[in-house]
Amino acid sequence: MTSLFQRSIGQPLIVFGLILAAALVAQAQDSRIQMSSLDHLAAKASQTVDVNIDERLVRIAAKLLSDKDEDEREAKKLVTGLKGIYVKSFEFDNSGEYTQADVEAIRAQLRGPNWSRLVNVTSRKEGNLEVYLLMNGEQIGGLAVLHTDEKELTIVNLVGPVDLDKLAKLEGQFGIPNLEIEQSKPKTKNDQK
Amino acid sequence: MKTNTRKTFVALVLAVLTVNAVHAAGDDFKSVVKMIEQFYGVKHEGLPFLAKAGMKVASTAARIKGGQARRFAEAGSIKLAVFENQEFAGEVTRFRASLNGALTTTWMPLIQTLSATNEEQNYVFLKSAGDKYNVLVVNISQREATVVQVTISEKNLALLLKDPEGAGKAITEEATINDQE
Repeated sequence: MTSLFQRSIGQPLIVFGLILAAALVAQAQDSRIQMSSLDHLAAKASQTVDVNIDERLVRIAAKLLSDKDEDEREAKKLVTGLKGIYVKSFEFDNSGEYTQADVEAIRAQLRGPNWSRLVNVTSRKEGNLEVYLLMNGEQIGGLAVLHTDEKELTIVNLVGPVDLDKLAKLEGQFGIPNLEIEQSKPKTKNDQK
Repeated sequence: MKTNTRKTFVALVLAVLTVNAVHAAGDDFKSVVKMIEQFYGVKHEGLPFLAKAGMKVASTAARIKGGQARRFAEAGSIKLAVFENQEFAGEVTRFRASLNGALTTTWMPLIQTLSATNEEQNYVFLKSAGDKYNVLVVNISQREATVVQVTISEKNLALLLKDPEGAGKAITEEATINDQE
């Protein structure tokens, strides 16, 4: 009798638990952007850069960069708490080497429910810059930068709590390219005159 | 008949597992050198000074970004293979796929920079080795290539992560340039 009860109630509970666990895992991994759809562009690019620094490595960097050296101390502060740094960048000799479909494969992931685009962010570099933030409730879960130019396509994906200020300071370190990101101030009435 | 099929299947599975186990336990440095030789039809050089490179680590220095000299490799840990004046023509992405296919089960790809148009490839892979890390750096250009494997401390790993491209170059320089200082 007990066995029948266990089969009828226990199994659905286990299945529900597994589904819940899978959903939680999926949610935790949400801010990692899949970029492998762009790998084919490497054959046409004059320069391809691919950086993968996972959580374990970020933790080592956060733990072992020196507190005494100013440069290292600053970097340590920036990466503490991050769960991954991923970069994929392509430069081409000619324009039109990548398609809108290539970019759309990335943008489609950034249309997910928790992602939102920051509108007041620009780059001093030529081209179009899109910055997206993943919010898990009140917490920032990750950040993605998509920089497109006629001859360039760059995606930077930081997983974990990170803000724009942190990203700007991380440029040029940990394989993150220098995108010269700046946050524009909202226009005041005086600016508009 | 069924028993024979099953035996053949089991034998095949065991054979595959053995090959994989040998590959996993084998020397990935040698495997990569061999892979380059087979893929591009080239031969690495056994220059006498290269054999001493590991011992000369104390007198070698690497130049990293900003001109600062820093040693990455643990003493005696350098493995080096050099290919000079040979043809490494094309197939950049196919070689990359082969290399990643062979290494990424045991090594973590940290940074890869490729230029299909200039036929240049740079790879830095990582693998933990107790409380230290093994770093495998592969550089291939049109006429030259180097494969370097070193063991580094966690402290140097942190610096490698901070500047993966610069540190990858520094590790290659550390292995190949005998500093006269």
